[in-house]
Amino acid sequence: MATTAASAFPDARIPYGTWGSSYFPAWQSSPLAEVNIGQFAGESMARIMSVRKVPVQHLDYLIIGSTVPWHWKFWNATLVAGCLGKRLPGFHMEQACATGLQAVVLAAAQVQGGSSDAVGVLTFDRTSDSPVGVFPERRAYRRTEVISDVWDNFGFDPSTGGSMLASAGNVARKHRIERREIDELTAYRYEQYFKGKESGFLERVAVPLDLLNVQGKPLGTIGEDTGVKRIHAGALRAMRELDSCVTSGTQTHAADGMATLLVTTAGKAKELSRRPEIAITLIAKAEVRADASCMPEAPGMAVQKLLARTGLSMADMAVVKDHNPFAVNDAVFSKTLGYDWRKMNNNGSPLVWGHPQGPTLTRVVIEALEEAVDLGGGYVLVFGCAAGDVGMAAIFKVQ
Amino acid sequence: MASVTTPSTATGDPRSAQGNSANGGAVRAMRPGTLGALGLGTVLDIFSKGRLPVRADELVDQVFGPREARGAMVISGACGVVGAGKVMQFASRLLPYGVPVIALDLPGANDGVQQQFDGLVKSFGRDTANAIMNNVIRLNYDGTSLPKELERYRPKLLLEAIPEKLELKKAHYALFRNAFPGIHIWSVTSGFPSAQLGVDIAHPSFPHQINKVFEIVEARPTPHTQLLWALGLVPMKVGDHWSFVLDVFFCGLLQATLQFCRHTNTPYWKADKYIRKLIGPNPFRAHDVIGAKGANYLTWSCLHHLGEAYGPLFTPEEALTARMRSGQAWYPPDHFRPLVNWSLDAEQEQALEAIVEGALLQMTSIVLHEQRADLPTMNAIGELCAQFSNGILARARRMGPERIAHQVGAYHRLFPAAAGTTWYPDTFMNMAEGAWTQLYVNAEHNGKAGVITISRESYNDDVDAELNRAIDWLLGQGIHRVILTGDFHLATQLVGADTLAFHPALSDEREGERISLAWSRTARRLHHDFRASVGFIHGKRCMGGMLELMMHCHQLVAVEDTLLAMPEVTIPVLPGMEGCHWPFRKADAEGRKKLLRLVLEGRPVKAADASGWLVDHAGTLENAVRTAWQVMEQDAAALKPRPFAEGPVETPDAAEAGLAPVDGPLKEARAAIARCVAEACNAPVDLALTVQARHSAAFMTGSLCRKGRLGSDYDKMMKH
Repeated sequence: MATTAASAFPDARIPYGTWGSSYFPAWQSSPLAEVNIGQFAGESMARIMSVRKVPVQHLDYLIIGSTVPWHWKFWNATLVAGCLGKRLPGFHMEQACATGLQAVVLAAAQVQGGSSDAVGVLTFDRTSDSPVGVFPERRAYRRTEVISDVWDNFGFDPSTGGSMLASAGNVARKHRIERREIDELTAYRYEQYFKGKESGFLERVAVPLDLLNVQGKPLGTIGEDTGVKRIHAGALRAMRELDSCVTSGTQTHAADGMATLLVTTAGKAKELSRRPEIAITLIAKAEVRADASCMPEAPGMAVQKLLARTGLSMADMAVVKDHNPFAVNDAVFSKTLGYDWRKMNNNGSPLVWGHPQGPTLTRVVIEALEEAVDLGGGYVLVFGCAAGDVGMAAIFKVQ
Repeated sequence: MASVTTPSTATGDPRSAQGNSANGGAVRAMRPGTLGALGLGTVLDIFSKGRLPVRADELVDQVFGPREARGAMVISGACGVVGAGKVMQFASRLLPYGVPVIALDLPGANDGVQQQFDGLVKSFGRDTANAIMNNVIRLNYDGTSLPKELERYRPKLLLEAIPEKLELKKAHYALFRNAFPGIHIWSVTSGFPSAQLGVDIAHPSFPHQINKVFEIVEARPTPHTQLLWALGLVPMKVGDHWSFVLDVFFCGLLQATLQFCRHTNTPYWKADKYIRKLIGPNPFRAHDVIGAKGANYLTWSCLHHLGEAYGPLFTPEEALTARMRSGQAWYPPDHFRPLVNWSLDAEQEQALEAIVEGALLQMTSIVLHEQRADLPTMNAIGELCAQFSNGILARARRMGPERIAHQVGAYHRLFPAAAGTTWYPDTFMNMAEGAWTQLYVNAEHNGKAGVITISRESYNDDVDAELNRAIDWLLGQGIHRVILTGDFHLATQLVGADTLAFHPALSDEREGERISLAWSRTARRLHHDFRASVGFIHGKRCMGGMLELMMHCHQLVAVEDTLLAMPEVTIPVLPGMEGCHWPFRKADAEGRKKLLRLVLEGRPVKAADASGWLVDHAGTLENAVRTAWQVMEQDAAALKPRPFAEGPVETPDAAEAGLAPVDGPLKEARAAIARCVAEACNAPVDLALTVQARHSAAFMTGSLCRKGRLGSDYDKMMKH
C-alpha cells in the first residue's frame, strides 16, 4: 500500500488548468529584452487566464516574484495588478531561483490562513539588458560601487567570494562526478525537452504572446523558447570546460519570461478549474543551506529533509522535476538520493529551456503538475537550488 | 403599407392636429414626421406653404423679448465640460440676435469657457470668435445667491449644467425662480426625469461645442425648443423617463462591455476595438475623451438610477463604481501603453456579441415599451449621439425577432442577474410594419405631390431599401410628382455614401458592383418613375453619393450657400452612383468641363455657383422651397428642365478642364475617374450603368483604394 502524507496546507488547492507560462526566450533574443517586465507579466497573466477561461475578477490577492530589479518595482504587486486588470492587494517576494516555488508556498499559506480565497502567483524576470545599480559605499575604496545586477551577481557571491559556476565545479569534484556522465545527462535532458515539445505537451503549458510597441504596432511574438537548439553528446563533449564538468552546454542560459498559477480554497478551485474533479494540494516544503560554495548539492539535501518529514520516499513520487542550472545538480541529486536521473525532468527542465530566475520554478511546478495529471495523479516532487547555497523542495499531491 | 394622417400646424398638440396642406388637401404620410413632435408640422408643409414653420428672429423675440428689451440666456455650471461647450454654441448662434449669454459658475471653477477660444477661432476666424466671446458675460456666484448684476441682463432662459445632485439642482431652480419669476428653465441632466426636477430637459450630446442634438423633455412643444430648431440645432422629443434615450444606450453599452471584460479579462482598450467593429463607438475612449472623472460619474449615476428603477440589468459594474469614485481613466497612461496584444477566440467573440447585443436589445425593449420617442428619433439618437454605425432599431430590424430573442437569452445565460430585469420581446414583433420600415426615409403627399425625406446623413443599404419602399408607396398612392429632400431635422446635411457599406467591397468586386448597381437603379427610379421629380438640396452640404442620388431627379433645386462636392477622388473611390456620366448628360460643353473639375478635384462648390451646369435653380431657402413646389404644381412652366442626352456624350479632355496639377495617389485616382467618365459618357445611358459600376467595383479592390482612407479606416476597424 502506498504511503500517504498529510498536507500542511489542507485548505489550499491549485486549480487544475488555471496556469500558464510565457515561453522563455534566451536573453537578448526577443522583444522581451525591450519591455517593462512587470507590465508584461501583469498583462500576460490576464491573457493567460483569459485563454484558460478564468476571470481575474475571482482573485483577491496577488503574490509576485522577481529577482532582477525592474522599473517602478517600488510599487510591486499593486502595479502589476493594475496591468492585470484588477486592483488587488499583494506583495512582492524574492528568493533568487527559489522564487517561483516559494511564491506558491506563500500563496498556499495565504489561503490556509484564511486571509484569501484566490491568490494569484505571478513570477517573472527579465535578465536581458540588466539594470545597473549605483550604490554609495562609503567604506569601499571606490566610495561608489556600480554593479550590473544580473551578471555581477551571478559571478560573485559576496559571502564566499566565488561564483555560481565555481560552486558547480566544486560540487562536481566533491562528489567525483565525471564529465562523461554530465554530457550524457545533458544530452538526455535535451531529448526530453524536444520529446515534450513534439508531443504537444509544451503547448499546454506555454501560451504564445504577441507584443506591441508604443505605437501599438506588432513588436513580435513570444512563441517559443528561442535559443534552444538540439544538441548531442558529441557536441557537448567537444566543448571547453569552464570548471570541473561545467561547459557552456551543461549549464543553463539566461532568459526572460513569466509564469503564473492560482492557489485557492477547495471551493474556488472547483469553480475555476476546467476539470474540477482534479484536486491538487501542496503537502509540504523544506529548505536547507549547504556548505559554502556547494549550491548544487543543496537541493538533494532539501529533498532528504522533506522526505524525512513527510514519511514519503522517492518511490512514492509519480513525477520528479527540478530547477537544474547545472547538469551537475541532477547528477549529484541522483547520487545522493540513489535515484536514476533518467526518471526525472520529463518534457523539459531549466537546464534546457533557460533561466529567467523568478518564474523558473513556477514553470517547473506547472510542467510537473501537468505531467502528473497525464499519469493519473500521485505525488509530485519539485526542487531546486538558489543563490547562497540554498536548496528548496516541495511535494504536491495530484488526485 | 398603411399610411397615417399627419399634423401640419406649427402649434398645438401634434398628435391630435388634422393635417392639411396649403392647398387644402390632407397630408398623408408613411409615418409621422419627426418635426411634428416639436409642433413644427410636416416637411410637405414647408414646401406647400413656401416657408419654414417658424423663424428664428420671431422666436427670439418671443423667448427673450423684443430687441429694445432683450433678455439674456444664462448657463449655470458654465465652466464645466457641458456648460462651456453650450456657452460657445449658444453665444455664436444668438449673437446675430443680440442675445447675450451669461456664463455663471463658482469662483473656483476651472476656466472652461476661455479654453474654447482656440476652437472658436478655428471655426469662425478671429474676428467672429472675438465677437462671440464679447457676447459672453462671465459672472461668478457662491451657489446660494445670485449676483446682483444678473438683474440688468433680464435672464429669460436658464440652461442649468451644474452637478448631477437632485437637491442641489432643485435649490438652484428655486434661486432663479425667486429672482426671476417666469424664467424658463432647462436642465442638461443626463439622468433625472423632468418629473423629479420640476423643469424641462434639454439634454445635449457630446462633443458639446459642436453636437447639435438635444433630447427634449417638455409637456408640449414650446417656442424655446422650436428656437433651437430655428437656430440650426437638432432638438429631439423624448419621454420623461430615467436617462431618456441616449444614456440608456450610451451608458448601457459601457455596462455591457464591462460585463464582457469581466467575463474574459479583455483589457478596455482592446474591448473598444471589438465594440467599434461590432457596434461603432469606442465606449471607453469616449469616456476618457469627455473626461473620465465627469463621464464616469454621469454614467454611473444614470446606471445607478436605472438600476433602482428597472433592476439589475443596469446595476453599475464594480469596475465602473470604482472609477466613479476615483475618476481614473479607462485607458492606461502613456507610460503603460498596452504591451500584450489580445485576440478573442470564437467562443469569446460569440460571448461579446451575446452580451453587447443582448444587453442593448433588452434595454431597447424597455425604451420601446415605454414609447420614449418615435422610432426614427430613437434610432437616430444612437447614430448621431453615440456613434452607433447603425441605429439600434435598424440593427434590430436586420436581426429579426428570433435572433434578438436568441441573443437576449444567450446574454441571460452568461449574466443571469440581467434576467431579473423585465424585457419585452413583443416590442420586436412588428418590425415589418409601420414606422419600423421607415426609420430613415419618410414620404408624405397631399394627393397631388409628394415629398420624400431622408433623415440619415449618409446613404447605405437601409436607406436604399427604405427609399424604394417610399417610392413604391407614393406610386401606389397615385403620386407622380415628388420632391426628394433632407428631412429639415435629423439630417442637417447629406454627406454621401456610408463608407462602412463599402468594406466588404474592398475584397469582393462582385459586392462593389452590387452596391453600385443597386443604388444606381434606385436613383434612376427618381428619373423614370415620376412625371416630375425635384432634388431639393439644403443644409450645410450635399456630397458624394447623396449628390449623385439627387442628380437623378429631373431637376435640382438648391439653397444658394449649400456646398456641393464629389470628394470621392480624395478618399479615393470612384463615384459609383452614376456621378461620372449622369450630370454630364444634362450639361453643355462648358458645364461638362466644370463637372469634370468637380469630380477630379473633389473640391466643394457653392450651389449658387453651380447653377446651370449642376443645379437647375439656386436661391435663398424660401425662394428655393417655393421654386421646388412650383415645379410640383406647374412643371416646366416653373423651371425649364435641361435636356437629358440618352446617347453618348462628349467629355472634355482632362487637360482642357483646367485642373491644378497633382502627383502621387491623387494623380492616379484622377486618372481612374477620368477613364470612368470617358467610358461611361461614351456609352448610351442604359449601358453606362454597368460601365460605371464595373469601374467603381474594380477600383475598390485595387491597391490605391486599399492604401487610401477607406482601406485605412477598414484596417483600423476590422484588424486586431
